[in-house]
Amino acid sequence: MEKQLEKILRRVQKPGRYSGGEWNSICKDWKSIDVKMAFAFPDVYEVGMSHLGLQILYSMVNSRDDALMERVFAPWPDMEQQMRNNGLPLFSLESRRPLRDFNIIGFTLQYELSFTNIVNMLDLGGIPLHSAERMEGDYPLVVAGGPCAFNPEPIAEFIDVFAIGEGEELLTDLLDAYLASRRGGESRQDMLLRLAGIEGIYIPALYRVEYNSLGTINTVTPLSQGVPARVQKRAVTNVDAAVFPTRMVVPAIEAVHDRAMLEVQRGCTRGCRFCQAGIIYRPVREKEPDTLLHQASNLLGSTGWEEISLTSLSTSDFSQVTPLVHELINKHGSAGVNVSLPSLRVDAFSVDLAKEVQQVRRSSLTFAPEAGTQRLRDVINKGVTEDDLMAAVEAAFMAGWHSIKLYFMIGLPTETDEDLQGIANLARKVLERGRRLVRAKGRLKVTVSVSSFVPKSHTVFQWEPQNSIAELKRKQALLRELLRNRGLVFKWHDPEGSFLEAVLSRGDRRLAGAIEAAWRNGARFDGWSEFFDLSKWTRAFASSGIAPEWYAYKQYSYEDTLPWDHISTGVSKNFLVREHRRSLEGAITPDCRDGRCQGCGLCVTLEAKPYFAGGETVASLSNTVL
Amino acid sequence: MREVKLLPRYRIQYCKRGPASYISHLDLVRTLDRAFRRAALPIAYSEGFNPHPRFSFAAPLPVGVEGLAEVLDVEMQEPIAHQELAERLNAALPPGLAVLEVSDVQDNTPAPMAELDEAGYIVHLDEHDLPGPLPDGAARDFLSEEHIEVTRKGKDGREKIRDIRPGIVKLDVLSQVSGLTMQMKLKSGSAMNVRPEDVVEAFFHHAGMAVDKADLQIIRTGLF
Repeated sequence: MEKQLEKILRRVQKPGRYSGGEWNSICKDWKSIDVKMAFAFPDVYEVGMSHLGLQILYSMVNSRDDALMERVFAPWPDMEQQMRNNGLPLFSLESRRPLRDFNIIGFTLQYELSFTNIVNMLDLGGIPLHSAERMEGDYPLVVAGGPCAFNPEPIAEFIDVFAIGEGEELLTDLLDAYLASRRGGESRQDMLLRLAGIEGIYIPALYRVEYNSLGTINTVTPLSQGVPARVQKRAVTNVDAAVFPTRMVVPAIEAVHDRAMLEVQRGCTRGCRFCQAGIIYRPVREKEPDTLLHQASNLLGSTGWEEISLTSLSTSDFSQVTPLVHELINKHGSAGVNVSLPSLRVDAFSVDLAKEVQQVRRSSLTFAPEAGTQRLRDVINKGVTEDDLMAAVEAAFMAGWHSIKLYFMIGLPTETDEDLQGIANLARKVLERGRRLVRAKGRLKVTVSVSSFVPKSHTVFQWEPQNSIAELKRKQALLRELLRNRGLVFKWHDPEGSFLEAVLSRGDRRLAGAIEAAWRNGARFDGWSEFFDLSKWTRAFASSGIAPEWYAYKQYSYEDTLPWDHISTGVSKNFLVREHRRSLEGAITPDCRDGRCQGCGLCVTLEAKPYFAGGETVASLSNTVL
Repeated sequence: MREVKLLPRYRIQYCKRGPASYISHLDLVRTLDRAFRRAALPIAYSEGFNPHPRFSFAAPLPVGVEGLAEVLDVEMQEPIAHQELAERLNAALPPGLAVLEVSDVQDNTPAPMAELDEAGYIVHLDEHDLPGPLPDGAARDFLSEEHIEVTRKGKDGREKIRDIRPGIVKLDVLSQVSGLTMQMKLKSGSAMNVRPEDVVEAFFHHAGMAVDKADLQIIRTGLF
């Protein structure tokens, strides 16, 4: 295989994607290990190597004496072609063994548009595509986790085991149970039944789904005793004490995010009503600054990275962010290490932070007001006012930035053309302010980047339809017209990709055939505009008798059983209903960080509680109030 | 006038093999910078807002070509013993990269790219990739040509014709047992740079045959 692989590597772009041998990668003695797991990232190396979850689980599993984890990424189309032409199976980077040789393949589901890559990787790995075909023959156990596992139904036929929620403790339990099952000589069916008893494990083959005559779900019923009717997500109780890698694999070729990642907190309770991460990663759990400083020193020392990024869903909300940034710059700045902050909140405080970490104002600053009018921002519960935005951009221009990016979403529930006009008004106001404050007027630039709303499972807007492709195109054309101005740049995404994302994110089990057909039609890397081709999917939907519009455009009612209702984030459906009603009234709901519990129901369901560095907590409402 | 502080400069001879041979030159700069950081060996950086490590390389090694004795000059913030530099850096280098030797560089020594203008190569072609047996004296006949023209697409996409004969210093067929093994010495560096795969292609073309450049297994044996 080595000789053949070398021959192939001389014929593909960026062979470093497949050659392995990176610093801190771990290649264990295959024969002396009981359970061999492959972490499969269904996208290209540079994207997968930017993923913190991979680094955490890789280090965690490899620290066990009885287990190993190796990595495998989706081969770029040129590599896939070479592999197929030469009969080379998909292999792991560490030991270069075919996927088929592993006991467990763990896919991470970061975005719906990677589903065809999963099918493709199974196929290239010589593994039968469907869970049902793997019951006999000692095939690897195919596991999937990550945000998209919260609606696992569209890919349920391809996956044996879904891991719902945070992986640190769940994967440990899963590996232990797997080993116990193997030692006991259990059949595959018995192993699945055993795994189904672990909290957070969902095994689709152990449920029967029945539909109503109108196509919605009637019931989802467990088929055996000991299989939970509703699968509760896992959340780490103490994030501060949770495993965090002191060594991370340093990519051999430049990754999208090629820097040390330090997770400062998990969860976000701002409560934006379109946001899925804000629901599934609840509650907010901060790490202690001392822990973080210690982890930062270890990471920088073991990797040599020249940049450290403070990651989380909203880093400016981390209560200790200012002292942490100061301390990191004090300790590591002289060694030329930069600190970077993704996802800045829209306010002057955040600009001050950005000022501290960025000595040179070379890049632009990005803010996400998400909607153009206060009315619509209240509907989506984006707690940002025009004053906040103006204060933020003013601070940015005064500090020397001359390029500002504004992110908006179009197609949000209740949106009218007035809200689009609002986007243009805001952009112009920002530009005006820049004209007054920026000295190098020629370099002043305000970029308006617009994405299309995709209703996601488990969110307040899960019941809402998506705008049609035609309507989204009309809105984009209108915005293009409204934003015609010197100094304004308008960017948008093709609505076709957002449409498919909506179909898959609210889909059910009946979509499996269409996903497979799209893959057979050649769909790969659907998240990449250079490869995405809706016509491959349109043909696939037609040949498998699926009306995709039904999935994207359906307005669900509160009484409907949703395809993902048997998966629980810990947030109660009552809370989502109440929030949805409040949203239509334009009523805002504050963050529980401020000390007042909003009754999402999570703290009474899960052991994990909100935690703020220094020990503060939020007292949750009792069950009766809900 | 800014005061120019002379920092200690060392020449590092290293190999780049196995998985490391797939690291591109740009990524190699990053890889080495991080290795020095892991080894806590403070190197000098350029001034300005976007400091980069003060490395000076010989002609970059193409992706997929192994290097047995590559050359890098590095400026350090403080003097360090050769042995210590080699040992600490080796402990921080990924598989395939290794320091072979460290030496001092005099202040007036030109950069490796200018000083080292020849490179040695061994090229191997597997038996089943060979288009046919080479006629006797093929190498001598090839080298007796006054001009050897090759076409290559320039950065602007237009094809350029270039005479590479002046860049071929030596070319020998070492073995025709189980494939073909050749040894070459070619001009490399800032003045003239000839690629081994171009030479082999032209060599076969001269003998009336065609080879697939991607079949060539190339090792750069050293820089002179």
